[in-house]
Amino acid sequence: MEELITRREALKRGIFVSGAFVLAGAGGWAGGAPRKVWAGETNRGFLIEGIGRKPDFSVQELTQRVFDAAGGMEKFVSKGDVVVVKPNLSWARPPDLAATTNPEVLKAVIRLAKEAGAAKVRIADNTIHNAGRCFAITGAGSVAKETGADLIYPRSSMMRDMKLQGRRLDVWPVFVPVIEADKVINLPVAKVHRLCKLTLGMKNWIGGVGGRRNALHQDIHQTIVDLARFFHPTVTLIDATRIMVRNGPSGGSRSDVAVMNRLILSDQPVAADAAAASLFKITPESVGYMVLAQQQGLGSYDLNALSRKQVTL
Amino acid sequence: MKARHLIGLRRVSQGFFLALFLFLFVQTQFPDDVYLDYSLALTSEQDIRLTYPVGFFFQLDPLVWLTTLLSGHVWITGFFWAIGVILLTLLIGRFFCGFVCPFGTVNHMVGAIRPSLKGKAMVEANQKRASQKVKYFILMTVLVSALLGLNVAGLMDPISLFFRSLALAVFPSVGNAIKDVCDVIAGSDIKPLNLLGYAAEEIASPVFGYGYPSFKTGWVIGTLFLVIVFLNRIRFRFWCRTLCPLGALLAIFSRFSLLRLEKNGKACTDCRKCALTCQGAASPHPDLDWESSECLLCFNCFANCPEDALSFRFRWVSARNRGPDMGRRAVLGGLLAGVSLPLFGRLDGRIHKVSDPGLIRPPGAVEETAFLRLCQRCGLCMKVCPTHVINPTLAEAGMAGLWTPNLIMTLGYCEYTCTLCGSVCPTGAIAAITGKEKVERPIRIGSAYLDRGRCLPWSGNGPCIVCEEHCPTSPKAIYLREQTMPRPGGSMGTVQLPYIDLRRCVGCGICENKCPVKGRPAIRVIAAGETRSVKNQILLDI
Repeated sequence: MEELITRREALKRGIFVSGAFVLAGAGGWAGGAPRKVWAGETNRGFLIEGIGRKPDFSVQELTQRVFDAAGGMEKFVSKGDVVVVKPNLSWARPPDLAATTNPEVLKAVIRLAKEAGAAKVRIADNTIHNAGRCFAITGAGSVAKETGADLIYPRSSMMRDMKLQGRRLDVWPVFVPVIEADKVINLPVAKVHRLCKLTLGMKNWIGGVGGRRNALHQDIHQTIVDLARFFHPTVTLIDATRIMVRNGPSGGSRSDVAVMNRLILSDQPVAADAAAASLFKITPESVGYMVLAQQQGLGSYDLNALSRKQVTL
Repeated sequence: MKARHLIGLRRVSQGFFLALFLFLFVQTQFPDDVYLDYSLALTSEQDIRLTYPVGFFFQLDPLVWLTTLLSGHVWITGFFWAIGVILLTLLIGRFFCGFVCPFGTVNHMVGAIRPSLKGKAMVEANQKRASQKVKYFILMTVLVSALLGLNVAGLMDPISLFFRSLALAVFPSVGNAIKDVCDVIAGSDIKPLNLLGYAAEEIASPVFGYGYPSFKTGWVIGTLFLVIVFLNRIRFRFWCRTLCPLGALLAIFSRFSLLRLEKNGKACTDCRKCALTCQGAASPHPDLDWESSECLLCFNCFANCPEDALSFRFRWVSARNRGPDMGRRAVLGGLLAGVSLPLFGRLDGRIHKVSDPGLIRPPGAVEETAFLRLCQRCGLCMKVCPTHVINPTLAEAGMAGLWTPNLIMTLGYCEYTCTLCGSVCPTGAIAAITGKEKVERPIRIGSAYLDRGRCLPWSGNGPCIVCEEHCPTSPKAIYLREQTMPRPGGSMGTVQLPYIDLRRCVGCGICENKCPVKGRPAIRVIAAGETRSVKNQILLDI
């Protein structure tokens, strides 16, 4: 670790980084206690689970109810805010294959953010498949068209080297639109993954960076924690309306999908992931990055410490 | 009709068709504003298609129609446009060259805007020359070799050549340069500059395509294009007069043209202004016999003659126009070359013996012999591919397959459900398959193999699984097995090792593309196992 810090210092001189990012990164590095993500009246985080029980429940309505239970979108988004929504649009797969975030959830979140007074809502994801095809096939494109949200095409000019100051990732190209915002809403889909067991909220931030992403697998758990610390969203909404239980993270067949009709909303990224893990009957203790995240003070996967609510429809 | 009106009409027509060509050219890319209705997109059955008929100019091109008919015995879609062009040529001559051909228009502009030669030198340059027979030689070569099963028309066809040069050389090089500048501006820490960089790319990308397209041998294609274009500074329409096989084909049909240049020798004062601007070197001077086959219908002589000694008239005359001056040597030479090319083209053994492992054809491509009978080497598939994985070959497909499409997985990969290349192919060399067909049959373009010596987990260099993660089939063709492997230094560690199930692999190449082992990836795709070939297989039961 000592050696890393010297290198970090050396790079600091070489690379121009805007002050805000250095501060944000340094704050993260200091670590320790779980950080307060939004200025609520209580320090206790919350975890809200939405469950659709009726056969023809509306996903959009469930999304609204879940946010209502947390005190409404107004609690997270203020008037005039630029809001970035970071769904998982990695693969050019239709929504029913559960490889990407449900467009109904995406649409509802954008609408809520707009109703809460957001000046601009942007959808940003650095996809794995060709971005144009991902946007066209996952439904994100038509959601953007319908809601008037900006759909940001990942381009090389939007990748900038930034100091993440993580334990593994020091300087790495970041997809700038994801952080150039007042509020960030993380909107992942829940899937299995052979290397890190599950891809949920914290792993979704791999879609927030560029560069040699395929090399991150060589230390995936620490990488995920570093990224989760750097991006720290205002709130995380995990789309588990349907989850991918096999062949993750790309899937490709309906038989890889299990319908869950659930949404998990939390201001605590680690807790949100832990709650979603239970849908796969996986304990957070067995997921490397959740353990590391708790150890390194990013939050706790002890769900009992949170104020929990359940919404059914 | 007055001569200057005719010139005006010609310019409008040339401008219109060049603009139409460029519009369709730019539209030959994945549409960024076409979104599927996701409530309907329940399966992969909805295919993304282009909005405009981007292959229109290839349907208009009689050489494309004729060579695919001769060699592939296929009537291409929209061939009636080409027949229309031929019928009209019978009536009025090479109007296609003078009024329609977008490459002809570029040649015309480069030569005629502030011409480099003046006075006598230009008059001399516009005299008919023996070199104009070369185009008949090329046409003969192309037609005879097409008849014998090798279609090389696209190498010299003006529409293919123009499209290929723009798509693989001119636009990518200019576009990438603009993007490099955008990237520098966007990397600035001054906010307005920053936004300007994004905005500039917002404008550049829809025209030049997203990302940094690059094409192998693009520099050869680009250099040839520049040479052809700059030859116009030495001779007006050098390409059209001397080399163009489509021009030669239309020249043969223009022999019977009813639209004729009528000459009045008595009024002529021998000022030679007619020859000063003649685009086709078609002997407009009243002392010479007008060459209807060389005339590009630019109407410059008609407009420039101060004595009204020249005029274009429709006339039904018993005396036919002068026949095209092909020359016996050009025809016989063309015959010989046309026979030789297909024969020599097979000497590399690719047809009868073994195909190149690195020659991976696009999904839906027909079997290799039929492919070489149809492919125009126009570059449509290469331009439209969203990942730009399709590249022009140099030697992979042998001499006979120069600049035919080849997938290079380190430059891109084939998207699992994408079928755009087949949907735009003007001749059906790549069949128009559906995404459902591609996935369910499945249509394989090759198969992957592992290089265990380079693979990170296999070689003890650490965990990875990137290939498995990206593998698009379900169940995955790349599967993992946990195993204890020696690490550098002798200790043992548990890693997940990738294996390939050849029965599931479709050869899409995303594993090779995303493999973190740079240089030569640890997992690579070869053509063996491709659906289109009976012989090029690995397994018995596939």
